[in-house]
Amino acid sequence: MKKYNLELMVGLFLIAGVLCLGYLSIKLGKMEVFGAKGYEVYAIFSNSGGLKTGSSIVIAGVEVGRVKGIVLEDYQARVALTLSRDVKIQEDAIASIKTKGLVGEKYLEITPGGSEKIIPPGGKIRETLPPVDIEELISRLLFEKI
Amino acid sequence: MNRMNLIQGVLCLALVFGIPAAGLTGEPLDQLKGTTDKVLSILADPALKGPGKAGERRELIRKAVDERFDWEEMARRSLARHWAQRTPEEKREFIPLFREFLERVYADKVEGYSWNKIHYEEERIDGDYAAIKVKIFTAKDQVIQVEYRTRKKGNNWMVYDLSAEGVSLVSNYRTQFNEIIVKSSYQELIKRLKAKSVQN
Repeated sequence: MKKYNLELMVGLFLIAGVLCLGYLSIKLGKMEVFGAKGYEVYAIFSNSGGLKTGSSIVIAGVEVGRVKGIVLEDYQARVALTLSRDVKIQEDAIASIKTKGLVGEKYLEITPGGSEKIIPPGGKIRETLPPVDIEELISRLLFEKI
Repeated sequence: MNRMNLIQGVLCLALVFGIPAAGLTGEPLDQLKGTTDKVLSILADPALKGPGKAGERRELIRKAVDERFDWEEMARRSLARHWAQRTPEEKREFIPLFREFLERVYADKVEGYSWNKIHYEEERIDGDYAAIKVKIFTAKDQVIQVEYRTRKKGNNWMVYDLSAEGVSLVSNYRTQFNEIIVKSSYQELIKRLKAKSVQN
């Protein structure tokens, strides 16, 4: 009887361990099992240069969502964004791809607009700005001097 | 019979190439091109050259640009969420002030620029909105990529934002204005805009 109890305990412990591991991997991998908390909008960029699935979306430096996916559509980048439900984006808001520091990772910044119209779930952020290619700008400066 | 074939062939060619060609230069691009050509012809007009004519020339350019630029929309978008907090009088005061400020900053550049060639790259129409991409070749053989954002107002496609090399005018001023208003006040912004207009 006593031996049976011990084995049961070990089994339960193992199951608990596996569950913890599963939870951790989902959390760390930023995967969503039961659907994301928030709503989705999309934006079309002429160039998404360096933006990745999972890149953060910020307003005034505060993270408000993540990039859900990027696909090619009509030779432009269609970026799907998941935004937290309490963040409202105006129709004239500008989405721009920025770099953390000079060579850091890319993120998406939204500059809120002043329109009364709010973009509904599934809607489109019309105003977008591709990342500024610093390398190209530098090379252009250099070449002009020659 | 041979002639019949020829006519058919020409018709087919016209169908295949004619329609996409017409689709390439739609209304927004045509209107923008019209305004640009007008400004360029004013700049190139020998009768308007010389120091004594500078005022007259500036006035003509201003008129041409006013036809194509929606200053109110540009001002509204630049002030963004602060626009709604302004009284109607403040809005009325702000639009010409902003327009004048832009004129002071950019007019010299437009007038002094040695435009070599302008190439209209593409036009994307999406309902009442259209984006037009333009490549400007300068005399030094540098290429500047400019994108105009326009919105249909009646029969006119009016420019409400433009970006050069991926840096947008509205986005730039939206950030700057927001910073000034949040740090000090709207009155401070007006003061600075006025000072800038007088300075030059």
